[in-house]
Amino acid sequence: MKAFAYVNPANEKEAVGALGPSGPQGPSSDVRDRVMLIAGGQDLLARMKDYIAQPDRLVNVKNALDATITATPDGGLKIGAAVKIADLADHARAAALYPALVHAAGGVGTPQIRNQGTVGGNIHQRPRCWYFRNEEFVCLKKGGNRCFAPAGENQFHAIFGNGPSHIVHPSSLAVPAVAYGAKFRLVGPNGERIVDAGEYFTMPTMQNVRGENVLAADELFTHLILPAPGNVKHGHYEVRYKASHDWPIVFATVILAMNGNTIQSARVVMGAVAPIPWRAVAAEKALAGKPIDAATAAAAADAALDGAKPMSRNGYKVQVAKTAVKRAILQAGGIKTA
Amino acid sequence: MAPKDERPDTPERFTVSRRAFLKTTGISSLAATVVGVADADAQTPGARAVGPGEVPVQLLVNGKRLDLKIEPRVTLLDAIRTRADMTGNKRVCDRGTCGACTMIVDGRTVYSCSTLAIEVQGKQIRTVEGLTRGATLHPMQQAFCDADGLMCGFCTPGFIMASVALFEKHPQATVEQVKKGLDGNICRCGTFTRILEANMKVRGVARA
Amino acid sequence: MQGRGNQTPPPKAPDKYLWPDKPAVIGTSVKRLDGPDKVAGRAKFSYDISRPGMIYGKILRSPHAHARIVAIDLSAAEQAPGVKAALVWKQPGAEVMFQGDEVAALAADTEEHAWDAMRLIKVDYEALPHLASVDQAMAADAPAVFTGGNTKPGPVQESGDIDAGFKQAAHVVDATYSTHVVTHVCLETHGCVCEWDGDKLTAWVSTQAAHGTAQGFAQGLQIPQTNVRVITQYMGGGFGSKFGPDTQGLICAKLAQQAKVPVKLMLDRKEEHLATGNRPSAIAHIKAGVTADGKLIAYDAQSWGTGGAGATSNFPLPYIYVFPNRRRTHQDVYINAGQQRAMRAPGHPQGCFLTEILMDELADRVKMDPVEFRIKNLPDRAPNAMWGEYFTRGAKAFGWDKRHATGDSTPGPIKTGFGCAANQWGGGGRGSKAHCDINADGTVVMKCGTQDLGTGTRTIVAMVTAETLGLPVSAVTPEIGDTMYPFSGGSGGSTTAASVTPAIRVTAFKALDALCAKVGPALGVDAATLVASAGRIHVKGTPSKGLAWKDACKLLGTEPISVDGDWMDGLSSTGTSGVQFTEAEVDIETGIVRLKRVLTVQDCGLIVDKLTTESQVYGGIVGSINFALYEDRILDRVTGQMVNPNMEWYLIAGMSDVPQIDIILNNMPERGVIGVGEPPTVSTAAAIANAVRNATGVTMRSLPLTPAKVLDALEQEKAGGTL
Repeated sequence: MKAFAYVNPANEKEAVGALGPSGPQGPSSDVRDRVMLIAGGQDLLARMKDYIAQPDRLVNVKNALDATITATPDGGLKIGAAVKIADLADHARAAALYPALVHAAGGVGTPQIRNQGTVGGNIHQRPRCWYFRNEEFVCLKKGGNRCFAPAGENQFHAIFGNGPSHIVHPSSLAVPAVAYGAKFRLVGPNGERIVDAGEYFTMPTMQNVRGENVLAADELFTHLILPAPGNVKHGHYEVRYKASHDWPIVFATVILAMNGNTIQSARVVMGAVAPIPWRAVAAEKALAGKPIDAATAAAAADAALDGAKPMSRNGYKVQVAKTAVKRAILQAGGIKTA
Repeated sequence: MAPKDERPDTPERFTVSRRAFLKTTGISSLAATVVGVADADAQTPGARAVGPGEVPVQLLVNGKRLDLKIEPRVTLLDAIRTRADMTGNKRVCDRGTCGACTMIVDGRTVYSCSTLAIEVQGKQIRTVEGLTRGATLHPMQQAFCDADGLMCGFCTPGFIMASVALFEKHPQATVEQVKKGLDGNICRCGTFTRILEANMKVRGVARA
Repeated sequence: MQGRGNQTPPPKAPDKYLWPDKPAVIGTSVKRLDGPDKVAGRAKFSYDISRPGMIYGKILRSPHAHARIVAIDLSAAEQAPGVKAALVWKQPGAEVMFQGDEVAALAADTEEHAWDAMRLIKVDYEALPHLASVDQAMAADAPAVFTGGNTKPGPVQESGDIDAGFKQAAHVVDATYSTHVVTHVCLETHGCVCEWDGDKLTAWVSTQAAHGTAQGFAQGLQIPQTNVRVITQYMGGGFGSKFGPDTQGLICAKLAQQAKVPVKLMLDRKEEHLATGNRPSAIAHIKAGVTADGKLIAYDAQSWGTGGAGATSNFPLPYIYVFPNRRRTHQDVYINAGQQRAMRAPGHPQGCFLTEILMDELADRVKMDPVEFRIKNLPDRAPNAMWGEYFTRGAKAFGWDKRHATGDSTPGPIKTGFGCAANQWGGGGRGSKAHCDINADGTVVMKCGTQDLGTGTRTIVAMVTAETLGLPVSAVTPEIGDTMYPFSGGSGGSTTAASVTPAIRVTAFKALDALCAKVGPALGVDAATLVASAGRIHVKGTPSKGLAWKDACKLLGTEPISVDGDWMDGLSSTGTSGVQFTEAEVDIETGIVRLKRVLTVQDCGLIVDKLTTESQVYGGIVGSINFALYEDRILDRVTGQMVNPNMEWYLIAGMSDVPQIDIILNNMPERGVIGVGEPPTVSTAAAIANAVRNATGVTMRSLPLTPAKVLDALEQEKAGGTL
C-alpha cells in the first residue's frame, strides 16, 4: 500500500472540499485516481494493498455523511450513505417496507464486512473482476487496451452487454435499489442533484470504461432515497456457490405491483449478469396481467434471459439466472421454491 | 522458546516501546506529520490533511491507552501487532476475507486488516489478549479448549473474537444462527465441527 | 518424507516397553496442552516473533509465467528510506519459470518501507513462450519450454493379460476422469525470522521439520549444521508444504547477514499460492471391464498430470481395488506454474477419485449396490486392509439401506444422494530420539526435536511420558520444536506419532528404570519388581509397598536422572484403512451441491489421544470437501498468471458449508501407533462425487464439482447420457 495523506471532514461541505480543487471545467481528470473516499474500507483497502488503487489522499467520509435511516414525508425511507450494512440488515422499518433490500443487505459478505461496510460503499465498490484486481493484468479499467475476460477465465463475468468491459456490477444493494425505483442524492461543489438509480450506473464504452456510474470526481453520494413501496410483493433470490462467505453467482430482485391476484406491473432486476444492475424489461412485460404461478414465473425467467450472450465459460450463468428470476417471482408470491 | 517479554501490560510499556521505535526510525520522521497533497491542501475548506508521514495515533486497546506514531496507511492489525507486540490476532489473507484478524470495535467484529488504525481512535478496541482475566480464560476460550475447537491455532484468536461478539449479542442463538454468525472466518485445519460445539457449549447446549 | 531410516534394523523394544493392556492415559481424551496459550493469543508463532532491532524482508517475484531476466537495478530501492539490505537472487540471463519465481529481495526497518522500496526495484524481462495448461503443454505445436521436453513418460505398469481380460468383460466403461490443482493455503504463510550471532544462525521457522530445516540452512548457506538452531514452537499449518528453509529462508538469512540485524520474512497470501507448493492435477483415460457377475477383470489407463514447472505428478491407480489384468502408463506434464509439493496424502485423493467414480459406474452396469460391489472386489482382508468390515459397519451406521438407485426420482429441483469411497495410507515412522530429565523435586521434562503442526504432538509426548511414569499428564513438561532437542524427523506422511511416541516410551522407561534403581534399595526390594502407576513407584501388584512419586524422586539428591532414548521397533506399525459415506443435496436448477452428512470409519492403530485424533479426522474430511467442491488454482489460460491468488476467489469452506460429520474410530492397540493425519482426507471427495451421481443420475468425472460442471453434465445427460 502506498503512503497517503488522510483527511477526516466533519460534514458534507468539508468532504466535498477535501475532494480537491474544482475549476470551471470541473475536476481535473486524474483527481479520481489521486483522491479517494474511504467509508467502510472493505473494498478500497484491499485494492490499495494490491496497488490497484494508489491515492495520494484518502478522505474519510464516515463522519461527514449521514449514518441514519429516516422516514420521508411520502412514506418512503432515506438511507444515509454512511449507514452500516449491518444496521440496514437489522432495520425493522426497512425490512417491513423493502424486504428485498434488507434481504440483500443481510447477504452481503460476512458479519465483519457488514459491520464495517456502508450502504454508500457497497453501491460504489469497484468490480470484483479478478483481472481488474490483479496488478499483472493491465485491463481497460486500469488504462490498458483490452478486457481479459473474453479470451480468459470468464466463468463469473457478464452474460449481458457487448463489452468493451465484461465486468459484472458487484453491488448487492444496487439491484434492489433499482428494482424499488430508488433515487440517489449526490452533492458537489455546485450543490446537490438527484439521479434515478436506474440511470446511475453506466454501461461501459471506451470513453467511460474506467468508472461504473455517473458520479463526478468532485461529487459525493450521500443518500439512497426509496419511494413508498405501495401495494407490492417482493422477491429476492441469490445463488451462491458456497453457503458461507461468497459472491453470488447471480441474483435477482422482483417487485410486483398487484391488483388483486393479478400482477399489474413488475420490476425484474438481475445482479451479477452485466456491468450494471440489469433490468429485464421483457420479463416485466411477460409478468404484467398474469397471476403469480409456476408457469408465469418460468415464462418470465426465460424472457429475462432472452438475448444473453455468454462467453466461453459462463454459459451456465444463463440457467442459474433463470432460476434466480423464477424463484424470486415465486418467493414474491409466497410459493415455496427450493 | 521465544524469549518472553516480562514487562507488564501497562500504558508505560507502550511509551517505552514508542521511544525505542523512534530511535530506530530516526527523528526525521517526526517532522513529517503534516504533509498533504500540497496544492490541494491550500484550497481545502475542511479538515486538514495529515500524513503521509507518521502522525500520532491514540488507540484504546483492551481498556488501555496506546500512544503510537504511525503513518495513516497502517492498519489496526499491523499497528497492534508490530507496534505494540500484541500478536494474538493474526495476519492471514490480509484482504478482509479469512477472519483471523477479527477484533471487536465498539461491540462489533471487524477485520482489523481492513481497518485503518487512524480511523478507530476513540473507539473501544478489543483483541484476543483482552479476554483473559489473569490466568483465567474467557468462557469461550475455555470452551474452545474443552471441545478441541482448534488445531494449529492460527485462525483461533479470530474465531474466538467472532464467537465472543456473537455470544454477547445473541446469547440464545440457534445452531443455524451461530453458523451464519461465524461465516466470516476460515479454519484451514477444518475444526469447524468443534468450534460450533464450543459455541453451543457456552450457550448450555451439549451437542451442536 | 518418511522418518529417517537406520542402516541396521533398529532394536526391538523389550516386552515391558510395549503399550499397556490397561492404559491410564493413552486412548483417553486429553485436551491439547497448548490450547490455553493458543486461545489466549499468547502462543508465539514464527509470524509473531519480534527480536530487538528486527527489520522486515520482502521478495520480488516474477510477474511472468516464463521470461529471461535482462537487467536488475536495485539502486533506487537501496536508497529508499529505511532500506538496510538488498540482494539479487536470480542474475540477469537467468530464466524465471513461473509467476512467483524469486528474483530479488530487500529488507527495511518497517514493512511499509519495505513495500515502498519493492516498487523501486527495476527489472527488465524478455518474455519467453509459456505453457499455461496441460493441454497447451501437450499440444503438437507446443513451444519447447522445458529442457528434455514438456512431458516425461513414466514406465508402463502391466500385469495379467489385458486383451484376454477385456474378452471376459461383460461390460466396459471407457471415459476420462480428472482432478485439479489445489494449493496448501497454510494460514500461517511460509517464512521465518533469522538472527545471526557471529557465525551462528538462529531461525524461527514455520516448518514441519525443525531438524530438516536446520540441515537445509546449513547446506544452502554452506555453514556447519552445528551453527544453526531452528525453533518452531508453534506453526500455523503445513499440510506437506513446509519441510525446509526454502528459498525465502535462505534469502532471509542472507538479508540478516547483510543488514547485521534480525530479519523477519513472512510471505504474503499471493506468494503463498504462487510459490510454496500445490497438489498436482491428475487426468486419466480409463477403460475398465467387469464380468457379468460383478468381478473386476480388466483395466487399461493412460494418465497424466502437472506438478508445475519441472515437477512430478504421479499417483496410485486403480487405487485399492484389484483388477487381475491391468495396464497403466503415466506421464508428467510440465507447465509454467509453481512446483508441486507433498500435500496431505500425496497422490491418494487423486487416485481415489479417479477410481471410486468408476467403481460406481461399474456397479451400475452389473446392477449391484455400490457397497456390495466394492466388498466383492476388495483385496484380501488384513489388519491394514479392513475395508470390507468397515463398509458393512459404516453402511449400517449411515443408513445406507435407504439409498435409492442412481437418480433421485422425487419431484422438485433438490435431489438427494448417497455415496461412498475407501482410503488407505502408510503412516508409520521411525528414527526419533528423546531426552528425559527427572529432578529431585519430582518434576519431569521430556524433550524431543519434533514439532506440533496442530495435530497434538506436544500433548501426546506428555501423555506417553505420563503413562509410562504413572503420572498425570499435568506432571510432565513436554519440550519440542527446537533443534536443541534430540533429533526427530519431519512431520509428513502421517509419521509423527509413530516416530515420536516409541522414542518417548523408550526414553521414559529408561528414566523410570534409573529411578527404580534408587527406589529398590531404599525399599529393600529388587528394582526389577517395581512399577510406576497412579503417582507411585511400587512393587508390582502391591501398591502399598512403594513410595509416592515425589518421595521417590527425593532419593535422587543432587543428581537428577538425565537419559537419552531412541525409537525402537514393536511399538508402532504402518498401514491404515478407512471408508467414508456422504449424503449430498444437488439443486439441479443451479448446479449447487450442499452436503448433509459425512460418516467415516477409520483405523490408525493405537489411538493415543482420542480427542486430537478425532480432530484430525474432522480436519481431513473438511479438507477433502474443499477439494471436491471449492478449491481451484485458476491460471489465466492466456498469460499463465493465477487469477485467484487470495482467499476470496480461491474458495475454502466456511462454517455453513460443513455438514454433520460422524466419526467411528477403530482402535487397534495391538498394532501400535500409526498416525491419522492423512487417510481421512483421501476419500471424502470421491464419496461426494458419487453422492452427486446418485442424486442426479449424472456421472461427475471431473473435480471440482462446480455449478458449471454439474449443469453441463445434466445437459449432456439430456443429450444422450453420462452414465
